[in-house]
Amino acid sequence: MSEGIQIEINNLNKHFGHLHVLKNINLSIPKGEFVALVGPSGCGKSTLLRSIAGLEKISSGDMSIAGEIVNHLPPRKRDIAMVFQSYALYPHMNVQDNLTYSLRIKGMKKKSANIEAAKVAKTIGLSELLQRYPRELSGGQRQRVAMGRAIIREPKAFLFDEPLSNLDASLRVHMRKEIRSLHDKLGATSVYVTHDQIEAMTMADQVVVLNEGEIVQQGSPLELYDSPVNKFVAGFIGSPAMNFIKGIVSSDGRSVELQFKVKQKISLKSVFTPGMTVDVGIRPEHLDINASQTNLKVAVNSMEATGSSTYYVADTEPALSFIEQGRSSIVDRENVNLYVAPEHVYLFDAKSGLAL
Amino acid sequence: MRALLASLRDGRGFDISLISITMTFLLLFCGVPLIYNAIMSFQEVDIFNLNTFIRPWVGFDNYRALFADATTLPIFYNTLVFVFFSIAGQFLVGFALALFFSLKFSGSTYLRGLFLVSWVMPGLVVGAIWNWILSGDFGILNHVLKYIGVISDNIFWRSDIHFSLWAVIIANIWLGTAFNMILLSVGLAAIPNDIYEAAQLDGANAIQRFRTITLPMMRATIGAVVSLGLIFTLQQFDLFAAITSGGPANSSNVAQYRAWEMSFKEYDFARGATISVLMIGVVMIASIIYVRSTKQEIRG
Ligand SMILES: Nc1ncnc2c1ncn2[C@@H]1O[C@H](COP(=O)(O)OP(=O)(O)OP(=O)(O)O)[C@@H](O)[C@H]1O
Ligand SMILES: [Mg+2]
Repeated sequence: MSEGIQIEINNLNKHFGHLHVLKNINLSIPKGEFVALVGPSGCGKSTLLRSIAGLEKISSGDMSIAGEIVNHLPPRKRDIAMVFQSYALYPHMNVQDNLTYSLRIKGMKKKSANIEAAKVAKTIGLSELLQRYPRELSGGQRQRVAMGRAIIREPKAFLFDEPLSNLDASLRVHMRKEIRSLHDKLGATSVYVTHDQIEAMTMADQVVVLNEGEIVQQGSPLELYDSPVNKFVAGFIGSPAMNFIKGIVSSDGRSVELQFKVKQKISLKSVFTPGMTVDVGIRPEHLDINASQTNLKVAVNSMEATGSSTYYVADTEPALSFIEQGRSSIVDRENVNLYVAPEHVYLFDAKSGLAL
Repeated sequence: MRALLASLRDGRGFDISLISITMTFLLLFCGVPLIYNAIMSFQEVDIFNLNTFIRPWVGFDNYRALFADATTLPIFYNTLVFVFFSIAGQFLVGFALALFFSLKFSGSTYLRGLFLVSWVMPGLVVGAIWNWILSGDFGILNHVLKYIGVISDNIFWRSDIHFSLWAVIIANIWLGTAFNMILLSVGLAAIPNDIYEAAQLDGANAIQRFRTITLPMMRATIGAVVSLGLIFTLQQFDLFAAITSGGPANSSNVAQYRAWEMSFKEYDFARGATISVLMIGVVMIASIIYVRSTKQEIRG
């Protein structure tokens, strides 16, 4: 194994009875990196995370943490901290005892453990709450205690299983930044599970996209955004989601005919097999309403203004969505001219969904 | 009239009428006999004035006479031994079984269900079965103990004054274990699994998890089980009637059985009432502990 790799997973498989939940997972996570695992519900994110923690036995394959094979180590010997979606605080202990639990288990004296707790509480803003019980805390405060319980141990890696999903939207945005800055400050290695791709995009160095128990693509957030390997990743990364339209590549291979009721042709960045049936992917933010040229004409069906930008849905089949920055500049809703640059048109094989 | 009906339908009238039915029942069939019993313990009662309520008032004479009786203290001591070891045995075996079945191996729920059999059997039947098991000459318990080499001669469980109380205790432990197990199982099931997982990741081994998570989280349940156990063992009557009848020579006699003997065999109703009143005091203390422990639920 190579130097500086903190978590290494080779050919990992996991079965629950007949259910093959994780299929041939290969993943290596460098020390100090923040990796996000994303994917739709039920794709195996939590199972993978729990396998790293040792809470699930893997069916086959190898897993090593900090260079040591841990396949047969119980969770308590792996030196890994996990923040649960439910927080899993100890309800019968106050915040201070929750924080110091792992230290006291290791045999540290209560007094010195409490000094550590005070330090941690200061970093995450819990100093006022040390004597409270979990039931006396708000959701956000519980979340912090769960974080504090993880960082007090200085573990080999942090695992997060959708830690923010129980918080309200604004607190979520705030905690996103806070978790990331804690990660940087501690120089920690983190694996972060979420089904919210924005969370993954904004927090992570590396994003791993899982679907049906397989790693579909792995890369930096912008790599995934710019060059998705297939239709699934393209549709999953980016918000609002990419538009997909059936299309047929024209006879010269340089353009594609979109199969709307009124067929429309847009040009491509390179030459493709003529006559091929494809799925054309165009991101809403790449459909430009104010460009000097135009290659797509639609009628607007509905629009929503958020103030900073305006979201449109076109009267096409399938419905095309697009965005305009700022206030709406549309005068005639029946005749809207759009432009998509050739480099922003993605083609996917109609059968396999692979990017072309 | 309308207002009254309306309040009955959706106001406090409905609550009050529900409560008053229960309260009337409780007062009539529990409160009145309790007070009647307490009053009787301060009166001189015999067969001839049993049917009147106004009887000679004797103050604490009955209590004094009770404690002057040489059999009383040994019987109270027996009661203490019976209650302590019954509860300890029921609780330990019940808790061990509850932990065992919480492992959720295949078939565990059915097996656990089987244990309830002991709970639905009448005490007299249980006593009859234990009579066979404990029998000195052909009992299976003696046979097993001899086979594994614990004893060399038969123990006459029911007629030996050193063992008669223990014969009832053993039967009572068997009888009460299922109840303990079920309540403790419910308590165990109420502890969320992710707390155990968090503790594992925090480095706690199985014994540490039991000591720092299971026991403190079960405090309310344990308090309830033990205080209910106290009440049930103080009520235990059938087993004494079926196995030893308090004998030989009062060696297995306990307060509750003695109270019955006094009132309904020797027709000394005042003495029987006196013992009952003392026991009511103990049960009330247990009830207060029980209510307290269920109030202090510490589930976040
Ligand atoms: N203990 C288990 N026994 C059997 N099947 C399980 C078990 N745990 C998970 N599964 C199955 O494994 C699959 C993956 O579950 P997992 O919890 O990893 O999904 P997830 O990606 O975390 O989903 P979500 O985003 O909804 O949390 C699901 O189909 C689930 O039903
Ligand atoms: Mg999950």
